[in-house]
Amino acid sequence: MERRFNRRQFLINTGLAGLALKSQVLFANTSGTPASSPITRRVPGTGEAIPVIGMGTWITFNVGGDTKLVEQRTEVLRTFFDLGGTVVDGSPMYGSASDVVGEALEALGARDRIFAATKIWTGDESETREQAEQSRRRWGVDRFDLLQVHNLLGWQGHLETLKAMKADGEVRYIGITTSHGRRHREFEQIMKREPLDFVQLTYNLLDREVEDRLLPLARERGIAVIVNRPFQGGSLFRRFQSEPLPGWAGDAGVGNWAEFFLKYIISHPAVTCAIPATTRVEHMKENMGALYGALPNAEQRQRMADYVRSL
Amino acid sequence: MSGADWLSYSLQDFVMFGPQVFLRLFVRINQDIWPWQLLAVLVAIAVPALLLKQDGRSRRMALGLVSMAWIASGYGFLVGYFGPINWPAGWFGWAFVVQGGLLAAAVLFGGVHERRLRNGPLVLCWLMAVCGLLWLPVVEAGSWQAIALFGVAPGTTAATGMLALALMTGSWRGLYLIVPLLWSLFSAAMFWVLKTWWLLLLPMATLMGIGAAFWFSPRQGRSPG
Repeated sequence: MERRFNRRQFLINTGLAGLALKSQVLFANTSGTPASSPITRRVPGTGEAIPVIGMGTWITFNVGGDTKLVEQRTEVLRTFFDLGGTVVDGSPMYGSASDVVGEALEALGARDRIFAATKIWTGDESETREQAEQSRRRWGVDRFDLLQVHNLLGWQGHLETLKAMKADGEVRYIGITTSHGRRHREFEQIMKREPLDFVQLTYNLLDREVEDRLLPLARERGIAVIVNRPFQGGSLFRRFQSEPLPGWAGDAGVGNWAEFFLKYIISHPAVTCAIPATTRVEHMKENMGALYGALPNAEQRQRMADYVRSL
Repeated sequence: MSGADWLSYSLQDFVMFGPQVFLRLFVRINQDIWPWQLLAVLVAIAVPALLLKQDGRSRRMALGLVSMAWIASGYGFLVGYFGPINWPAGWFGWAFVVQGGLLAAAVLFGGVHERRLRNGPLVLCWLMAVCGLLWLPVVEAGSWQAIALFGVAPGTTAATGMLALALMTGSWRGLYLIVPLLWSLFSAAMFWVLKTWWLLLLPMATLMGIGAAFWFSPRQGRSPG
């Protein structure tokens, strides 16, 4: 992602990224959240609290056997855990990403700190358990916290098996995913009919279609929501990073563009967690800044959307 | 998924890695096989030396070396390094192995003609390709370790290897074209998505290599230069 200029500016302005995070935590208006505590949301089905910022692995963790890059990604994951993150999301579709996550978890000894989420991605609806087991071995976890049907591929068969796996205690939560705004009508129907714990969908300051139906429906049905593509694949930075943050950004708990984009998402009451992806430790620190401090209220959210639209 | 769903995907959705990871494949394979890439350099020099002779035995030896280059770059780079981050690349790796086998079969079973051809320009094109294309990943990666040698890197191997068409008889040419054309399409789309603009010259060079090979091959009723 090309956001060096803005991020460098941010680092210069604050001295160190870590210090920047601290200052966010110390001085933000926390609206009931203790300043030093990560913001969490409860999974409606169980009441379990999870941090509102997670980590995606699409593209970023697919580095194959490149030991240098595996080490770099391990440091990204270490930073994520150190700053309070737990939710890591992957998919068998993402090439070697599952293996790299597994290697990083092994190196960090962090398997007990993770909320492990992956997907079932195969058109063969009889392969659900087999693929879940393959992924479990690649991640090196005892079991997944969340298994999701990737982009509704073969969802009927997979979901039936996932329900059985959940009943048998092989997975804690089940769900479905979509991205890029695909198949929302069918997605909505499944949300209405099926006993889902989680849905994952695309939502960001420019892709807001889900605000109309899917997010209200998730609240109504008590389904947790994971948000993918919170930076629209990095294009939000490319479009807006050269622009100044609005003067009122600090009042909304926002100190940089990463927080601007992420806090808009996680301040929606239906959203449980956003999963930005990054290859760089300094970007991870910025992303995790959104896990602390104040969240924008409804009026501020509207101003955020209006501001971006005006640029 | 319906056709409309598939159409909603973009090329970007199928490229599951970033340019840094891709360019490091060249660096990694060069580090891992050192000093065996010197053998690849020798092969790249030996082929045009053999092509300068007009006898059939030298041609078959040249094509045998090109055959090994297809197999080595397919199995080494594509299957071994690229496949783990991009499953279609692994398939292409095996297709490169088949392509090498096909060329070997052409050598063994009469697929190489013995008519005179304009070998001077052909050799010049060969040298320009092996010496020029190898720098493209270097320019993109900013590291000389990303050098893309014939017989190691698939793009250089495919582009240069297309000149072998000039030595093949008509019936074998069609078979020999399938993999390079598909690879050119695939790699061009990938380089476009990755925005590695310099690397787009590789599939372009492959297509130019095909044209050059047809131009240099002797045709009935036309006297070779």
